Amino acid sequence: MEPITKLSQIVDHLLDKQIKKRVAVACAQDQNTIGALAQAVENGFAEAIMIGDQTQIERIATLEGIDPTIFTIIHLPNMVDATLKAVEMVRNNEADVLMKGLVGTDKFLKAVLDKQKGLLPEKAVMSYVAAIELPKYHKLLFVTDTAVIPYPDLKQKSAMLKYSIDMAHKFGIETPKVALIGSAEKVSPSQQYTVDYAMMCKMVERGQLPKCIIDGPLDVFLACDPKSVEIKGVPTPVNGDADVLLFPSLESCNSFYKGLMLFGEGELAGLIQGTIKPVVVMSRSESSTSKFYCVALACLMA
Amino acid sequence: MITKLDQMFTALQGKTKKKIVAVWANDSHTIEAVSNAVDKNIVEGILVGDKNEIEKTCKAEKIDINKFTVIHANTDVEAANMAVKMVAEKKGDILMKGLLSTDKYMRAILNKEAGLLPPKAVLSHITVIENANYHKLMIVGDVAVIPNPDINQKIAITNYLIFTAKSLGIERPKVAIIGASEQVSPNIESSVHATIISKMGDRGQIAGAIIEGPLALDLAIDKESATIKKIDSEVAGDADCLLFPNIEAGNVFYKTNTKLCGTELGAVVCGAKVPCVLSSRGDTSLTKLYSIALAALMAK
Repeated sequence: MEPITKLSQIVDHLLDKQIKKRVAVACAQDQNTIGALAQAVENGFAEAIMIGDQTQIERIATLEGIDPTIFTIIHLPNMVDATLKAVEMVRNNEADVLMKGLVGTDKFLKAVLDKQKGLLPEKAVMSYVAAIELPKYHKLLFVTDTAVIPYPDLKQKSAMLKYSIDMAHKFGIETPKVALIGSAEKVSPSQQYTVDYAMMCKMVERGQLPKCIIDGPLDVFLACDPKSVEIKGVPTPVNGDADVLLFPSLESCNSFYKGLMLFGEGELAGLIQGTIKPVVVMSRSESSTSKFYCVALACLMA
Repeated sequence: MITKLDQMFTALQGKTKKKIVAVWANDSHTIEAVSNAVDKNIVEGILVGDKNEIEKTCKAEKIDINKFTVIHANTDVEAANMAVKMVAEKKGDILMKGLLSTDKYMRAILNKEAGLLPPKAVLSHITVIENANYHKLMIVGDVAVIPNPDINQKIAITNYLIFTAKSLGIERPKVAIIGASEQVSPNIESSVHATIISKMGDRGQIAGAIIEGPLALDLAIDKESATIKKIDSEVAGDADCLLFPNIEAGNVFYKTNTKLCGTELGAVVCGAKVPCVLSSRGDTSLTKLYSIALAALMAK
């Protein structure tokens, strides 16, 4: 498989491989969600199961010029009921992807994380991986964790590594280059994340973590800019050509991606990993294109 | 590159001779060791001690006292302080323990006012072992001074190992950070330390060496084990230096070598402004001689 280097190529790939996934939307009575799902259905890689207030879903669709009959609609006007139903369908393999609609993130995640009826296996780490397309980078950049784990410990970082490698594989990148991001490339025993990074590098070397080309700590320059590598003279196998950037904290990763969205003309698709099936949680401020790509990404990962 | 301990003698010929200052050098063991070194033409000997005792011992052992510079001191502590002062004033290049207790000897070195120990310096012990079953020397630490080195002390010891290797003509020493396994275990502190030091080597934060760890001992010194366990590292099976996780492990390794394998060794205390020889009466005269030669190679 030729690696996917642009988000739009996800759709091409899904159509090319005739991949079609069932997306269960919790509380689908939301304009942006309906728009993104309609686009996915029209493209032909998704079936949409819209769970929520049927009257409103139909009304919004019609207003948007969308034929509501392209969706399977399940009428459950109560938000909690609709969310539980969507989670249950994914759990029972009646759907391949779970997506958040109008329901609040906390209510939604509560249902996902429910020990008996949720989607997270026992002891699994839930994290978030995003694929970012940038005009100034020659390929997609997978970044983690933009949304879920505030200060990942070694075990959580290792899970984040695994998830981002899984995603890179789905994009046709056989041996992804992973940069473990810090403010500098030096190891400092008093900075725990640099110690974690040193361990992760060695664990990859020793076959204790999935195969990849890994180095860290590296700053973003050394991770993504070969010229900086040359100037700084840091010998690193990632060599300014990273596919994956793993950040030490949620703040740093979140600021990185938002900066790129705002100033770097970035486009993004992301999803929750660690659950038994992909889960799409989009913030209301994301562009409709990003939302559409999120659905496509989830269908690719399912 | 020196691969056998006696090659140190050849390496020292033609170089400016270093001055060794022996502290409370009244006894036959100490005087004999310094005498042998002087005869080997590798150092100049300065004996600090009770002049009468030194003369008596030399006579009894049939050693020509004129080959030494003898400086009188009334007590062991006075001798230690005088010797440390001489070294601090650059009138000596190597310090050596004589008849006084290790405790008093170390206290004199550690004395802040004497200034032999740079601020924040880590005092540690490096041993060079020659074992016929290994194709070169093994430089190991710390088998004698720091019981449970923390990460900063381990970094210091690693630097001493590298410096010692370089003094022995090994241009880019291969350093193995020893553990019980090559796997990284976040719950085992020594394993975490090993990965930190290994990465610091990659980054040049510890410079001039190839560092790999954690490695179990077999992987560090036996190529076949390294091949079987698929350790892809230049260090595996060919280590020059071994950093042990703690004094127990290092001490057992060195005593297994000396007592069960009949190996010879030389040892030096590192971290002070000059190399310090800390031989005990139990050491063979050859060990003492090798320790002096090693210190002479390491002295500035």
